[in-house]
Amino acid sequence: MSQKILIVEDDAASAAYLAKGLGEAGHVIEVAVDGRDGLFLASEGSFDLMIVDRMLPGLDGLAMIGALRAAGIVTPAIVLSALGTVDDRVGGLKAGADDYLAKPFAFSELSARVDALLRRTDLRASTKQDNVLAVGDLEIDLLSRRVTRGGRAVALGAREFTILEYLARHAGQVVTRTMMLERIWNYHFDPGSNVVDVHIARLRRKIEEGASPILHTVRGAGYMLSAAG
Amino acid sequence: MRLSTTARMAALAIVLTLIAGLVPVAFLWRATHDDAIEVLRRDTGEQADALAATWRRSGLPALRDAVEQVRSSDDPAVVAAIVDRRGVRVAGAGPDRLTTPPAPGFRIERLAEGGSWGEREAGVEMRRVGDRWLVNGRLLDDWEAAQRTIERALALSALVSLALGIAGGLALTRYVTRRVDAVATTADAVAAGNLARRVATDGGDDAFDRLGLRVNAMLDRIERLMAELRLMTDSLAHDLRSPIARLRARAEAALAASDHAQREAALGGLITETDVVTRMLTVLLEISRSEASERSGFTLADPAEVMAAVADLYEPLLDEGGTSLVTAFAAAPPLLLHRELLSQAVTNLIDNALRHAGEGRTVTLRVLSDATAVRMQVEDRGPGIAPEDRDAARRRFGRLDPARSRPGAGLGLALVEAVARLHGGTLDLSDNAPGLIATIVLPRG
Repeated sequence: MSQKILIVEDDAASAAYLAKGLGEAGHVIEVAVDGRDGLFLASEGSFDLMIVDRMLPGLDGLAMIGALRAAGIVTPAIVLSALGTVDDRVGGLKAGADDYLAKPFAFSELSARVDALLRRTDLRASTKQDNVLAVGDLEIDLLSRRVTRGGRAVALGAREFTILEYLARHAGQVVTRTMMLERIWNYHFDPGSNVVDVHIARLRRKIEEGASPILHTVRGAGYMLSAAG
Repeated sequence: MRLSTTARMAALAIVLTLIAGLVPVAFLWRATHDDAIEVLRRDTGEQADALAATWRRSGLPALRDAVEQVRSSDDPAVVAAIVDRRGVRVAGAGPDRLTTPPAPGFRIERLAEGGSWGEREAGVEMRRVGDRWLVNGRLLDDWEAAQRTIERALALSALVSLALGIAGGLALTRYVTRRVDAVATTADAVAAGNLARRVATDGGDDAFDRLGLRVNAMLDRIERLMAELRLMTDSLAHDLRSPIARLRARAEAALAASDHAQREAALGGLITETDVVTRMLTVLLEISRSEASERSGFTLADPAEVMAAVADLYEPLLDEGGTSLVTAFAAAPPLLLHRELLSQAVTNLIDNALRHAGEGRTVTLRVLSDATAVRMQVEDRGPGIAPEDRDAARRRFGRLDPARSRPGAGLGLALVEAVARLHGGTLDLSDNAPGLIATIVLPRG
């Protein structure tokens, strides 16, 4: 099922670039060029996701999201902004955005975050919270915090368990390094070193030992937990 | 209607001057005033009534007799005369000719130009009797004359007070307006771009001078901030030049690449270089934001926990590189701090330690706490930084390795120092013999 995404961006070139990329990913795109238009379109509540530039003519992106939230419209929103310091990011999230991405960004980063947010709305709509997450033959028991692969127990540290849980909740989707830093460590800055990669490498060694690959590296984007190749 | 401040000030000055002028006048008047003049007026009126009654009852000849009788009495001050329309005396006691033609009513005036009647003023009542005029009354005595003088002086002084009040009010308003205008024109000039313009002060420690000095102090600060801002944007533009030059070189290489694999590699390098520039910009903004010292985003947290979380993030990386990580965290009561910026500062210090300490060495994360400060330390066993180089190391883009053989934008320690300053603390660099101890000192309270 294709999902409707509203892009609110005053820069025509950026909007076209986003619309093209997300359209190729199978989404239905509509573009608004300023905050007022965006507010008007989004207030129908028919979109599954909005991507909103923070600095818009007429009505500021965060103000637009604030107005929608006040009207009871909970369509998830990703804010794009040239303001990229830690305080800007945290402030944007506090203002009602569900995710915040500083410009310039890699398209793969945006795409991964779009998928994550669309999945989240899916989950909220359909299934209840499960005690056991299963990806192929990998099973994660959230209550006892035990992990098995093909029935065999895998011993994981507390941090490794958290990472695996996050990956499993987004199974089949690309998860980027910055997404993990934000969600798992609650850091909104880039540590510069490849710290996340090393965590993943450790985790991968443990869950793939004597079994088929399940934690894949997606080149130029991030990682994906997926049973299928 | 609301008066302007200037008009109200002028009005106030006028009223105050009037009060100041009129209060002593009023006192003097009260102290000297008695009923002498009033008695004169009443007596004269009664006498005039009696004479007029004589005229009505018995006609002009009887009246003439009556006034002639007054004339023959031995009081030379008494006036009782019949005059014609032009004021020429026909009968009775009084001047031969009045200075002003007769008109009905009581008045006090000098009746003649000279002679005994002209020596002093007289209070007289004038009545019309047929085609003649009855003038009766008497010359003022000394006391009455003195009182008249005082009254005239009082009236004059009231007039002078009023004039002075108006003049003083206007002068005061003009003065205040001029002094305020001096500040206003300076503000206008500064707003128009002349940042060096200052309010002229005369050193006489009055309110206007103090206002001028304050405004000047504010303008000094604005000018300094503007200069800092300009310096920052200039250096930013300068610092971005080299990474952008590298970007351009990569792009040109991609254009010139003949085969597909080469082009792929060059384009990949282009993206990596873009990420470097982006990261640099973010860090620079973070530094200048921290230096602007708005303490937003501060929460109460335990520095040891902040350090432990960073240790958790870096432990696998250090382990993988064969560096052993030693942690020693003293329990510290929570402090108001910016968790993310402090974490980022610590990661910068760890990255530095990893870059310089070499592989297979030890990195120690230590939190010390005492009554005055919390010290967050990152210690390595590398070559350290010579004391004379430590200032250069903190500078933006200050890199000690002249050949720039190792990667790094040279912003790491500058950010750490900015974060420490944001917390009211400092970044200390000291010798670990061998190695470097980088300490973020966070003062308590």
